[in-house]
Amino acid sequence: MTQSERGRKMFIESGKKEKFPMERHGMLLLNRIFHRFLLLCLLWWVLTEGYPGSWWFGLPGVTVTTAATLGLSSRFTWHWRPLGMIRFVPFFFLQSLHGGIDVAWRALHRQTPMNPALFDFPLRLPHGPARVFLANTVSLLPGTCSADLSEECLKVHVLDGSIAIHTRLQAVEEHVAALFGLSIPPAERFEEASPHE
Amino acid sequence: MNDFYLAVSAFLLVNILVGLVRILRGPTPPDRMLMAQMFGTTGVGILLLLSEAMGLPVLRDVALLFALLGALATVSFVRRYWPVEFAEEESKE
Amino acid sequence: MMFEEWISSALVCAGAFFYLAGTLGMLRFPDIYTRLHAVTKADNLGLGLLAAGLMLRAESWPAMIKLALIWMLALVTSATACYLVANNALRAGLPPVLGRYRSGSRP
Repeated sequence: MTQSERGRKMFIESGKKEKFPMERHGMLLLNRIFHRFLLLCLLWWVLTEGYPGSWWFGLPGVTVTTAATLGLSSRFTWHWRPLGMIRFVPFFFLQSLHGGIDVAWRALHRQTPMNPALFDFPLRLPHGPARVFLANTVSLLPGTCSADLSEECLKVHVLDGSIAIHTRLQAVEEHVAALFGLSIPPAERFEEASPHE
Repeated sequence: MNDFYLAVSAFLLVNILVGLVRILRGPTPPDRMLMAQMFGTTGVGILLLLSEAMGLPVLRDVALLFALLGALATVSFVRRYWPVEFAEEESKE
Repeated sequence: MMFEEWISSALVCAGAFFYLAGTLGMLRFPDIYTRLHAVTKADNLGLGLLAAGLMLRAESWPAMIKLALIWMLALVTSATACYLVANNALRAGLPPVLGRYRSGSRP
């Protein structure tokens, strides 16, 4: 468990019962400022393509931006888990390759075969950025496109209603949960291939 | 090699021209808007190829801006020019 | 060096192919929802492969990362745009084509 993870766990628990130790809070904040500063420096380096003279302007700019983002985003205390990211990125690449080939096959076929349907997918992820991230990911994966994110479910438009959509989306949901370090209840079994009209 | 990149970007340009058919035919305004979104993605591709073929790294920054502005165009279209009567929707349910 | 050039050209060609598939899907698919699939998936894969091909020939590390950044930005924006358009179409009551579809069977 890294320092920031432990810190966040304490932060979550402190809201319920325990007193939050002040020095841990300070460490956590410093840690976050440092990470963000490094990230923005990297971004500047990439945007200027490593031109050394640009740092005269870049360093003050990055400092101001760090301060601004800290002031703006105090509500969002999430970040991605490295382990979840290592598992998510190859999964995403393979799936989006599959998705592109799927669409290309249908588009180039003489008859453009498809069997579109609308599905309601019950969400297990908690409210917040993880849900939005799931909705966006689903749009880029093979044969699915998210159409409505409501209180309890995600309405999904699928190109082929006869495939095992729920099982697939549950796998995606588990990947997103691992990415955000969230724990979700175990999957329920669904009747497959029963799109509602 | 540069000729190859130029050829591919010309191919993408032809792609855009073919896509114009959807703008002319598209039965609903969002269909036309989708094509505009597609022009954005294709435009980014063309700019990246041109920056490599002509040795102009600046064009990569233009591509970055195109990627950003494409989203803004769609968002403003959905919000401003394609308003949905939410009240009517609720009374239907 | 030659090997890298070959891989790079192959990736760029594959990217162009997916752009073509996206345009064809845009022209041939029956309704706005299915066309959304064509735009978000085929075109983004096309851009991704194209960027990957150019990344192999990039002159420096930051230039390479910038190409990846452009692709990621395009992914995020098109996923968001896709959700917005699909959601609004659904709210506006545009009926999706449902059930088995073949381009010959309907006008």
